[in-house]
Formats: sequence, structure tokens, C-alpha cells
Amino acid sequence: MNILRKKLLPYLLLTPMILVMGVLVFYPITATFSYSLKRWKLTSPGDIHFIGLQNYSSILESDSFWYSFQNTLFILTAVVLLTSVVGFLTSIFLHIEVKWSGILLAIAMLPWALPPYVNGILWKFVFSSGYGFLNKVVIGLGLAGQPVEWLNSRRALLLIVSLVVSWRSIPFTALVCLAGRQSIPGGLYEAARIDGGNRYTIFRRITLPLMLPFVAIGITSASVTAINVFDEIIALSGYNDLGANLLVESYLTTFSFLDFGKGSALTYLVILFGTVLGGFYLRSMNKEVDY
Amino acid sequence: MKRKLISTLLVLSMTAAVAAGCGGKDASDTDGNKNPSAEGTTSKDNSGGEGDHITFMAPDWAIPTEDQLEAFTKETGIKVTVNEVGWDDIRDKMVTASAGGQAVADVVEVDWSWVGEFYAADWLAPMEVSDEMKEDMPTLETFTKGGHVLAIPYANDYRLSYYNTKQYEDAGITGEPRTWDEVYTNCKTLKEKGVCEYPFALPLNAEEKTSTYLMWLAYTMNGVVFNEDGTLNRDSVLAALKYEENLIKDELVDPADKTSSGMDTYKRILSGSANFLTGPTSFVSKSTSEEDCSVIGQIEPILVPGKDAKSDVTMALPEALGVTKFSKNKDAAREFIKWYTSSEMQEALNKSNTAIPTRNSVLKKLIDNGSIQNAGAMLEQAERIASPFPGGIPSYYAEMSHTMYNAIHKMALGELTAEEAYAEMDARIAELSFEEAYE
Amino acid sequence: MLKIQHERILTKVRKKVGYLTALLIFLLLTLGPFLWTFILSVTPEYAMLEKTPGLLPETVTFDNYRELLTADTPRGGLLITGIGNAIKAVCAALTLGIPVSMLTAYTLSRMEFCGRRLIRNLLLITMVIPVMATIIPLYRLFVARQWLNDVFWLSMVYVSSYLPLTTWLMSNYFATFPKELEEAARIDGCGLLSSFLRIILPASYPIILSAALIMFLNTWSQFQIPLILASSLETKPVAIVVSEFMTKDSIQYGLTAAAGIIAVFPPALAALVFRRFLISGMMNGSVKG
Repeated sequence: MNILRKKLLPYLLLTPMILVMGVLVFYPITATFSYSLKRWKLTSPGDIHFIGLQNYSSILESDSFWYSFQNTLFILTAVVLLTSVVGFLTSIFLHIEVKWSGILLAIAMLPWALPPYVNGILWKFVFSSGYGFLNKVVIGLGLAGQPVEWLNSRRALLLIVSLVVSWRSIPFTALVCLAGRQSIPGGLYEAARIDGGNRYTIFRRITLPLMLPFVAIGITSASVTAINVFDEIIALSGYNDLGANLLVESYLTTFSFLDFGKGSALTYLVILFGTVLGGFYLRSMNKEVDY
Repeated sequence: MKRKLISTLLVLSMTAAVAAGCGGKDASDTDGNKNPSAEGTTSKDNSGGEGDHITFMAPDWAIPTEDQLEAFTKETGIKVTVNEVGWDDIRDKMVTASAGGQAVADVVEVDWSWVGEFYAADWLAPMEVSDEMKEDMPTLETFTKGGHVLAIPYANDYRLSYYNTKQYEDAGITGEPRTWDEVYTNCKTLKEKGVCEYPFALPLNAEEKTSTYLMWLAYTMNGVVFNEDGTLNRDSVLAALKYEENLIKDELVDPADKTSSGMDTYKRILSGSANFLTGPTSFVSKSTSEEDCSVIGQIEPILVPGKDAKSDVTMALPEALGVTKFSKNKDAAREFIKWYTSSEMQEALNKSNTAIPTRNSVLKKLIDNGSIQNAGAMLEQAERIASPFPGGIPSYYAEMSHTMYNAIHKMALGELTAEEAYAEMDARIAELSFEEAYE
Repeated sequence: MLKIQHERILTKVRKKVGYLTALLIFLLLTLGPFLWTFILSVTPEYAMLEKTPGLLPETVTFDNYRELLTADTPRGGLLITGIGNAIKAVCAALTLGIPVSMLTAYTLSRMEFCGRRLIRNLLLITMVIPVMATIIPLYRLFVARQWLNDVFWLSMVYVSSYLPLTTWLMSNYFATFPKELEEAARIDGCGLLSSFLRIILPASYPIILSAALIMFLNTWSQFQIPLILASSLETKPVAIVVSEFMTKDSIQYGLTAAAGIIAVFPPALAALVFRRFLISGMMNGSVKG
């Protein structure tokens, strides 16, 4: 009895989680997978049937998929780089103790609370070509006579999208890194100083390696955010082909062109991509830190 | 054992609830651990109530006042629950719900551009319309597909042209522009004389308004946009595209128009930054409102130009109300629409919501009695409304428009020439119309 | 002697200047966009498109705020209800999410059983699933079970999307408690429950609070889920309300900007009040002893 109880207890404790995740995550994604194997266009309701992997193959053959995939990759790389570097730097900055540290921390968290769509609108105010903030500054300083069109090329657009998304995802990374920084026992630094380490070696030997796992958390969350960027792109450039990533393409296919089968297949490819990436991160997550 | 576990869970959740209560500061005044499902249990999306109770989903500008709704309930005994949803989101919700075989509401907003797909997907229940009404409401044609009227238009929006008379005077140009060529030459003069730097307001961003602009430009210029089989009419559309390309090349269009939202492009006329606009009817009232306009008294609404004289046609982009097929209260829903689009209500809605009537008789009355000011050519233009879609709005409209605005946008950025842009949209539209015909 | 002192002062000054520069950059980049939005929110609508390089409007109007903060105006009413709805959703998500996360994290980090790793990994990997991949089946489920426009089930969906992150953070925290502590309590005759309540719970309030704050901030910014599952007036959160000020023919930048500024206040306030717990929860428990 006792042994059985001990064996079963963990599963019982996990039941709420399993129920929640089962009903609200695993069931829906299974259903979506079954949609992705069907020809299912809402505009021809009489013609819904199983077609195997045809949706997938037609997606993989289309140019627009690979174009959007490149955009997704670009955003992913840029957001991860920006978020981890700036997030790390912000955490170092926030670690410096001053009277108003707490307030600075609260300010740093502000962008996090912004709904992505509102975030996009906020930055559209900055980058838009007519009344945009940046143009007023650029013209005011005499750097350009004409308003600059910031969102007019693929690269610029993607860069700006990445910037805007990073802005929203930096707070979390900074927070995690700050927690990591503050977890490092002060004794380690004292010992290093007694051993005659200079600031650079202390940073390289102690701060950086001990904070890396926390940076990894930040990178993970930034990657997830970056793959799932949607609202910011729409707010900044609408359903412009230039900046479309996989999710925009999937939204268009599903909700705009009403092809549920193909749209579901597209989201599945996004999940697949994320899982490959996630599997890679899972390893780093399962590691633990020793001081 | 089981009991112990349950009590464990209970205590756990209670302690956590207390912690949560402190966690979310604002939480403390609402509730800590009471079951939140007590709030908002009424599921309105699910419609299908008993008796005469309907739900109505529409954007803010279509919502009647409480008094109006009360009067309707008193008159008919039908209760109306209003669900106000942002215009962009209505279609998403309709799609999600209908794909699941559900009525998102009994009465829903139907934009003109959705008619084709809603018809193909079979999501709307047909409406009964009298001949007298068809006569009075030219935009009904847009909502007719396969011989069925699918929705009744309540808000009119057809293309009118506007120009800034003061700038014309300053540049020494006399008389309003009658043809597109005149518009072009006058814009050049305005620019050369330094009266207006970017006189032509032309949406070029990758969005819906960019596609529709091309459609009505081609339509008013050459009287045709699409061939009978749904493909693009090459001569007409290419001419319109070249017209746009030249405007861009001669810098008569603000470079900002390439990326700012179409609405902002239109609004340039309200600040005098643009001289000429062909755009929504709502700009008639906007051009007299101090809140919106800084050049009041200078903007005149005129008939849309054509090729050799004023155009005989104009395109309408009206909004309508329809009854969802999955509704369980279709009769009550139809009754509501009938009331909503009646002459008296159109008059009342103009006053309360500045809606522009879809009945020409009401429009005339409002202009005559001064309710609509600075009307200019508004009424005359309304009588020229026609639809450029020979077979009604196609079911692939969304994808077609997406292809069109992206091609035009690329042309604006200089990545494509007018010919290339035309080839790009023509190829895709031909494919789409072929698919629709043979499926 | 003097020279050394001089040098010390110099490094001090240099440090101070360096810090102030960093502070300036930080404030500019974080608050800049908010500030610009605020300026737009007090600019009259017609002045918004004027092509002047001046950053400040000639006339300032607080009409947008006046309208939005008065509950009687249609828009003000909407915004205020929206904030209320968002707060309701936050409460519900916290009440449901915290216990489940704690239970899960506790089990996954402090118990040995078959399939632990698998369950943990399966849970964590769901982080990569976009809303769009689940929303259509979820909608159908919600229709079938009549859960639409129900704060409880809406919050359940939120919880399902936060669980991986909060569980992971919490289990990292729990994992650092020495096992002996609990064992000692167990030997003293405490059951699982009381050892949890006496040993684990008191030591973990920082992580609970930081998880709560994370959930708060994430719930506040939800958009697509409530749009599809709970967009009735009684349930739609402020994020949706703000986006509705900006559709089709009625783009009102000033109003949208003002609404955005107002909507950021509650979470900002929460972050300000609970800032201390934001980090302490995520630090490793062991170090703090």
C-alpha cells in the first residue's frame, strides 16, 4: 500500500497539469494536425476530404514559403542576438546599486506589459515616414532634407521588426540575467580579487560563465517570441509581402484565403521548426549550475 | 488517501489564492479565491437563445443608440444584444465560428468585399427585398450573388473626388478637373508653381485601399476592370497602372504614401498637403469638421473624372447587414435588418452615427434639408453607382486583392514596372478565376 | 599622495559619468517611445500629419484623456470595462495558475518517478506552439462545451500557455532546497502536506510572487486568444479595446495613443510595487541560504 502510494503520488500531483495541457494544448494540436492532412477550403464547403501530405508538399514547393522562412530566420537571429546582448547589458546596468534601483527596474519592465499589437503601433509612430519621430529628428538635425522611408526595403523592414520585438522581449531576459547576476555569491569576487584578478578576468572567469545559464533562459524565451512574431509585423507594414514571416503567411492562408487545410499545415511547419530549436534548448535547460 | 489528497489540493490552491491576491494588487478588491466562472457566464457568441432574442455583431459606427434599440424592442418584442467588435476582427470571428458550424451572431456586418466568399462558403441566409427597395438602393447589386440578395447595405460609401479650390486659385487654374488627364496636368502645375508639393493622394501601401484605388481608377477611366470570366481587362488596368506609375515618377505623390496607411494618405487632403483625392464619401463631412480638417471651406466634392468627360460610373464600397445561416432566430434577425435599413432609421442613423444612407431617397432628403453640408456632387454621384464585377464579387476576392496591392506596392518601391506589376497580378488572378470556374 | 587622491577622484568621476551616460541611454530607449506616444496623444488630430520638424505640437489637448477616462462616453466606458476585464482575467489566471504550477514544479523537481524527464520535456516543448496552431480546435471545443466568453476557461487557456515557463522557473527554485530539510521534517512525523507547507512554501514566496508577476504581465498583453474566445463586452480585455480604436476608416492616432498610455498603467503599477520580488524569485534559492 505504502509503496503503491509512493509510486502513484507523483502522477496524482501532476494530474491537474496533465488535464490542463491535455485538453487545452495537446488535444488542439492533434486536431490541427488532422486538419493539415485534409483538403479543406471554406469557400468550397462541399469538398472536404483527406489528401495525405499534399498540403505540405505544395507548401514546400512554393516560393512564398521559402521567402517567409528566410524572413522568420532573419527575425529569429536578429531578435536572439539583440535580446541576449542588450538584455545582458541591461542586467549589468540594473545591478549597480543606487538609490532609485527599484524604480529603474520597474521602468525596465514597462515594455513587457505592452500587448504586441500596441507595441507595433507605438513604434509605427516612431518610424512612419510622415509624422514619425525619427524623421522629425533626422530632418530637424539636418541629416536629411526629405523624410526617410524607413519601412521600404525588405532588410530595413525586417531589421525594424526585430528591433521592435526585441524591445518588448528584452525586459524578461534582463530580469532573468539580473537574477543570475545577483545569485553569484559576493565571496567569489572577493576571492578572485585577493588572487589578483583584474576586472576583465573576473568578468570572463566568474560573471560570464555563471550567468550563461540565465542568458540561455533569455535566449530560449526570445526565440519562442521571435518565431511567433505576428502583430508587430501587421502593425508596422500590414500584409505586405516584403516582411511576411511564416506566421503571417499562415494567418493569410487560413483566415484571409480561407484554406484551413493548408493554413494548418503551415502552422505545423512552424511548430516543427520550433521543436527542433526547442529540443536543442531543452538540453541546456536541464543542466544545473554549480557555484 | 484520496481524501487527504483532495484536502492537500484544496489547501494548496487556497494558500496560493491568497498569495495571488497580494500578487496582483488590483486583485484584492475583486476577489481572491471565489470561482471566477461566476463572472461572465452568459455565452453570447453562442446565440440561439429562446424566443425573440437576437445578437448583433458590428463595428462601433454601426451600433444604434440605446433609445433606438429600445424603440425597436417595444415595437416588435425582439430583444437585441449588441456585440461591438473591431471591423478587422469581425471577419476573423465569422470565419472561426462558421468553420465550426456556429452562428457568431444572428445579425452580422457584411462588408462588400466579403460577399463572394461568404456566398461560396454558404454562411449567409438570403434576404427578401422588394422591387421598390432595389430601385432606391443601387448598392444592393453588390450584395447580390447567384440571384440571391445576401445582405442589405446600411452604410453607403462610394467614390467621390475632392479638390482644394484655394490651391487651384493660387496656381491660376480655373474650373474643376473633368478628366484624369486634366487632373494630371493640373497636379503638375500645382507642383511647378510651388503651391502643393505632392498634390495627388494615392494609397500605395500594401493594403486593401491600394487595390480598390486601382480598381476604381481603371473603372472610371475606361468603364471596365474585369472581363466576363473574371480575369483582368488588360487595356484598362494597364492604363490605370501606368497612370499611377507616372504620378509616382513625377513625384506628384508623397513618398510617404508608399508606407503610411491608406487612411492617412486620404487625410492629406484635410491638411492641404494634397490637392486631389478620390476617396470615401465620409470626407464630405470630414471636410467641414474642425476636429479633422485644417482647410475648411477649401475642399469641394466633385464628380469623379473620366476619360473624355466626367465618368458615368463610380464604384461603391458599402457595408451591409446579413443574417448568418447558422442563426436560430432568422425571422427575428430579418425583422431587425428590415427595421435597421428602413428610411426612418437611415435618417436617424445619419444623425446619430453620421452613416451615409444607402437609399437615394433618404440621401436626397438629407441633402435638401441641410443635414448633410457641403454635399457638392454627392447626390449626383450616388446615381452613378455601378459594380465593376461582372459576376458579382468573386469568392477569391481576398487573395486577389492581396496580390494586387502587393504588386502595386512593389511598383511604388521601384521594384517592378507597370507592365511587370500587371503581369504579376494578371497571372495570379487568371489562376484564381480558373480554379473557381472549374472546381 | 596627492596624486593618488587625484587619480581616485578621477576614476570616481569617470565612473559616475559612465553610469550617467548608461542611465541616459537606458531611459531614452525605454521611456522614449512612451514619451513620444504621450506627445501624440495630446496632439490635435489634424496636426498629426503636418510636415513640420518640430517635435512638440503647437496646441496641446487633453480631450483624448478626458474622453477615455470618463465612464459615460462610449469609448471611455469601453476602455474602463476593458481594464476591469483584464484585471478579472489576471485574477483568475493567478488563482488557477499558481497552484497548478507549484504542484507541477514541486513534483517534477523533488520526486523521483518513471517518465519524469519525458513529462518535463513534453511540458517545456509546448512553449514553441503558436496560438494559431490551437485556436481553431480550441474554438470548436469552447463552442461545444459552452465556454465562450467565460473568464474561467479563458484563463485556463492562459494558464496552459504559461505553465511551461512558470513550472520551469519554480522547479529550478525548488531544486535548490537541500533534500535533508524535507527529510528531517518527514522524520519528525510531518506528512507530505505539512512538510510542504512548513518547509517549502515559506521559503518560496519570492518565486511565487515573481511567477505571479510574470503571469500578470503576460495576461495583460493577451490579444489573439481573447479575441477569438472571449470578445463579448463583459470579457474583452483592454488590449482588444485599444486595437479597436484603430480600424478601417476610423484611425484615431491620438485616441489610440492615449488609450495605450492608460492601458500600461496598471501593470506598471504592479511592477513598481512588487519590483523587489521580480528578481529575488528567480535567483537560486541555495545561494540565499
